[in-house]
Amino acid sequence: MSDLTRRHVLKLGTALLAGAFAPVRVSAQITPAVRDFSKLGRLDYTKAKATPTICFSCTNHCGVIGWVQDGIVRKIEGNPLDPNSQGNICSKAQGMISYTYYPERILYPLRRVGKRGEGKWKRITWDEAYDELTAKLKPLRENGVPEEFVFHYGRDKTKGVTKHFTNAFGTPHRLNRRSICSSNRRAPLMSFYGREFEWETQDLENTKYVVNWGGNPYEAYQGGLFMAHRLQKARVEDGAKLVTFEVRPSNTASKSDEFHTIMPGTDGAVAGAMIYTILKEGLENKKFWERWANYPLADLRKQVKDYTPEWAEKTSGVKAADIKRIAIEFAKAAPSCCTMSNRGSAKHYNGMQADRLIRTLDVLVGNVGKPGGYCLSSLRGWSGKYGQEGLPKLPMPEPKASSPKPWGIGEGFNEVAFKKLPQEVQDRVNGFPDKWKKKYYGELATPSEYPLAWHWYAMRVGQLVYPYIKERRQKVSVYMSFTLGASFGYPEANVVRDVLQDEELIPFHVAIDIGYGEQTALADMILPEATSLERWDHHSTNNYGLIPYTGIRQPLIAPQGESKTMPQMFRELAHRIGGGMEKHFTYKDDESFYKDWYKNLPVTWEEFKRRGIWQDATRPKDYELYERPLTATELEDTEVKDSLIIKSGKPVGIMKDGKAVRGFPTPNRVINVFDPIFETAAKAVGLPLTDGNASTVPVYHDVPEHVNLADDRYIFSTFKWNVHTQGRSGHWKYSAEIIHTNPVFMHPDTGKKLGVKEGDSVELSVFRPKGHTYKGGEEGVMGSFKNHVRFLKGMHPRVVMCSHHVGHWEHGIVGSTANQETSPDAGKSKELTDSELKRSPWWAKKRGGIGGGVHINDALPINPAPLIGGQNWYDNVCKIEKVTS
Amino acid sequence: MDDFTLMPWEKVGPQFKKSYKRAGMLVDLDSCIGCHSCSVSCKTENDVPLGNFRMRVRYLEQPTSASISFAPLLCMHCVDAPCLKACPSKAIKKGADGRILINESKCDLDEECVKACPYGAISINEDKGVAEKCDFCEHRTDVGLAPSCVDNCPTDALIFGDLDDPESRISKLAAKRKAKPWKPEAETNPSVLYVSHDKWMEKKVNTGVQLDPADEDVTYEQNNLKK
Repeated sequence: MSDLTRRHVLKLGTALLAGAFAPVRVSAQITPAVRDFSKLGRLDYTKAKATPTICFSCTNHCGVIGWVQDGIVRKIEGNPLDPNSQGNICSKAQGMISYTYYPERILYPLRRVGKRGEGKWKRITWDEAYDELTAKLKPLRENGVPEEFVFHYGRDKTKGVTKHFTNAFGTPHRLNRRSICSSNRRAPLMSFYGREFEWETQDLENTKYVVNWGGNPYEAYQGGLFMAHRLQKARVEDGAKLVTFEVRPSNTASKSDEFHTIMPGTDGAVAGAMIYTILKEGLENKKFWERWANYPLADLRKQVKDYTPEWAEKTSGVKAADIKRIAIEFAKAAPSCCTMSNRGSAKHYNGMQADRLIRTLDVLVGNVGKPGGYCLSSLRGWSGKYGQEGLPKLPMPEPKASSPKPWGIGEGFNEVAFKKLPQEVQDRVNGFPDKWKKKYYGELATPSEYPLAWHWYAMRVGQLVYPYIKERRQKVSVYMSFTLGASFGYPEANVVRDVLQDEELIPFHVAIDIGYGEQTALADMILPEATSLERWDHHSTNNYGLIPYTGIRQPLIAPQGESKTMPQMFRELAHRIGGGMEKHFTYKDDESFYKDWYKNLPVTWEEFKRRGIWQDATRPKDYELYERPLTATELEDTEVKDSLIIKSGKPVGIMKDGKAVRGFPTPNRVINVFDPIFETAAKAVGLPLTDGNASTVPVYHDVPEHVNLADDRYIFSTFKWNVHTQGRSGHWKYSAEIIHTNPVFMHPDTGKKLGVKEGDSVELSVFRPKGHTYKGGEEGVMGSFKNHVRFLKGMHPRVVMCSHHVGHWEHGIVGSTANQETSPDAGKSKELTDSELKRSPWWAKKRGGIGGGVHINDALPINPAPLIGGQNWYDNVCKIEKVTS
Repeated sequence: MDDFTLMPWEKVGPQFKKSYKRAGMLVDLDSCIGCHSCSVSCKTENDVPLGNFRMRVRYLEQPTSASISFAPLLCMHCVDAPCLKACPSKAIKKGADGRILINESKCDLDEECVKACPYGAISINEDKGVAEKCDFCEHRTDVGLAPSCVDNCPTDALIFGDLDDPESRISKLAAKRKAKPWKPEAETNPSVLYVSHDKWMEKKVNTGVQLDPADEDVTYEQNNLKK
């Protein structure tokens, strides 16, 4: 250490900083092949090449420009041609560079040599990997049990490539984590507006008034970045007002014009009282409601007659006068007003109905599809069917593989698989209506206790996959996890790890990922995937700018080491497995496959790659799509039946005032405020009709375990930070530098009551839920953890919260804040290095820092909401004790 | 879609350089949502080591309300720059457009600049053995690009331009939104101006851009909990 350096350290003066700023002197003697990612110097923009692609760091998928110099991706910027992001990006975009060049990235196929989970690996060739996989997979097809191959993904943006493979293989088990994420909020949308509209696109750039229940688009939200820059512009430049109900001072709450703390699980009560107020004040849009809602206004009035603002205040803690005022302001701003809600309202036992109440508000004031209002633009954007007339179709070019047969009794059903199911399950399914029998594929894909999870489309109930495997509801021979962090991030992640450790339950686990995490650590084989900067993907999503567009993820560099893309892996596997599978994989390379995928675009392939985005900006915005007249072509061969326009047996429009208009893509082409499906589902699974989830009309019902909550009990909730993406980003060095801990945030008064100060350690113990759910009503503590306390005045006094990204024990030196690299040497490349990651980061305990946080997900109970199966992340009742030792 | 002859990212090169009399930045705290895009983009752009910062977004709990305020802090490029005066080896100079630059080859780690800066904008890069700080991304502005933080702010909270040109967007916004310097009592005449910041924030940011165990930030958690 030089004198000067020592002086610098002494000046700063603490043990922590002595550790933090101790010099790193790494030898400059590096071979030219070795690239040190903290010694590259500045980018020279006159030499670097800019290529558009699509970000992969969260669910938004913004169009970006990657700058490459000397074969290395050095910088990510926004693509101004992207009509959704409008050239904006967030910090996570740079994370793509962090993970692509992470020195502990897995770049070679690995086979475990020790016991499962022991961390001993050897490098194998792709040939060996394919041979072994083929030897395991081929017999499953040959023996007529393809369903014993279970594919489970965390994030799949291949737009159908993985489904193409599982269909060609013949397994219905392409599992996801929809329930972990958003099924409770998607169900109300699909019930109201139809399958095409499982996600809304509020016209935020033109709005005047937004009421937000627990949505956090300024930090983490599907579409959040697209929303944030529009809404901030509307607020700052045009004076739009944002009102937020939240339990913590999220960035969205903090930037809101009004932020009201609310008791968790009572969002529906506030929405109900707003409906009550709007009706009482006569501010409803009677004309719109009577034209488009399927529920008489008089009945709605009766339904909400007890939802007074005073009642809602008692339930939610939000002042009656505020609720009344907000309701009136909202209705008076119509149609340039909209609701917004996400997990805050939806991830509760009553969340599905809470969101139905919130959605009712937009219909009531008639802002649906209006400028500045609650707009709907097809989720599948480019490839969608509704409102996208005149756009070229972009089908995946490979010969389509048919879906597997549904499981059941009779012709066209897979009886063999069905009869292996527990008798109780068979009986339940036999009692289902025909439309559900045709969609039933066993308990992992379509759990029979949660029919609404797959009524609209296959949303899955991911958190039950492992308990169900444990209960032997489904035999698994080959389990393939893809970009999945279940053993870290799922509720009761310890159950996931138990199942993955059990070689009887999971005889073979192959994990496909870019790095070494808690999930891959429990695999038998790891296949290295090319990152988002090294591969192609088809991109389309719904546009908050309300005009469809499409984009292309394209490789900026070749896959490093021996990593491969999913289409490459699937092509090779399909050809080796054979038996007809190979006929569905005809392309020789990725680029020609993607080129053909886009062949109907009215732009050359080279020009599309140069722009990265294609949109016909001359099209009108997707306002009031439901009022658009059906075209002459659309009206061909149709018949009108009870004012519905039917084509080939399917409703395609509705007669309004003697005109054939499109209506909404629901079976009755109107908005279903009333929907019998909830009661049908309840009856089918034996949920008492007294449970609010069974209600045909939007209703407020209590979270069972929150009723008469004892004074010494609190609600434990989780949240996401803006710099992280689930449990995937713990090793992105610049994100981890900002957020590496997850303290227990609480209100200072809560701390006072508990006798704790900031920095004190507490033990937080969680109880199981009490409703009709997995292990509902089971007594005793289900899990606990210890962590330190931080105070924030914006916390609800009955709520304590930790973020869920950190506390890794894998993910290498940054993710785990270990003292040395933790990923298997056999998988790493010697050419990738980052001299500042040769030792633990400044926040590591080893260097006098605060450490890398606490893993909390073992203490979160598996808690699927009745019927729909969405994980009720935010209901957890807990007790908190000060740790004295 | 517009028929661009050149894509926006293709308009890069010395011929696109804009010349300013007084380069400056406006930081609009009303627009800022605390996303850290500016600071992470800065780290990637400039290879800033972990633990050092050319820019940092501070999360400051408001003293009298439940909300958190966000404040991106960086070198203020002062007209009367104390760092420039303090450097004994004359390694700090003022550029033609008024930006303050460290000549790394002349820096001999006296650290007088670090001590002199009232904003904590300068840190010692131990790897390179030099003092470093924000230079408004000179390598970008030389080829017609805005500083990295500005181009990567998703809510238009950072505006770069010529403070001496009354017709520039930054000058107009600064006048309209009543932009003020951070900590004016330092009397350094900064070229970075803030919209909607309060006195309490200036007190609470402590050292400013660099980490300090006394920070009360909600993010960047250190061993700084009140005992």
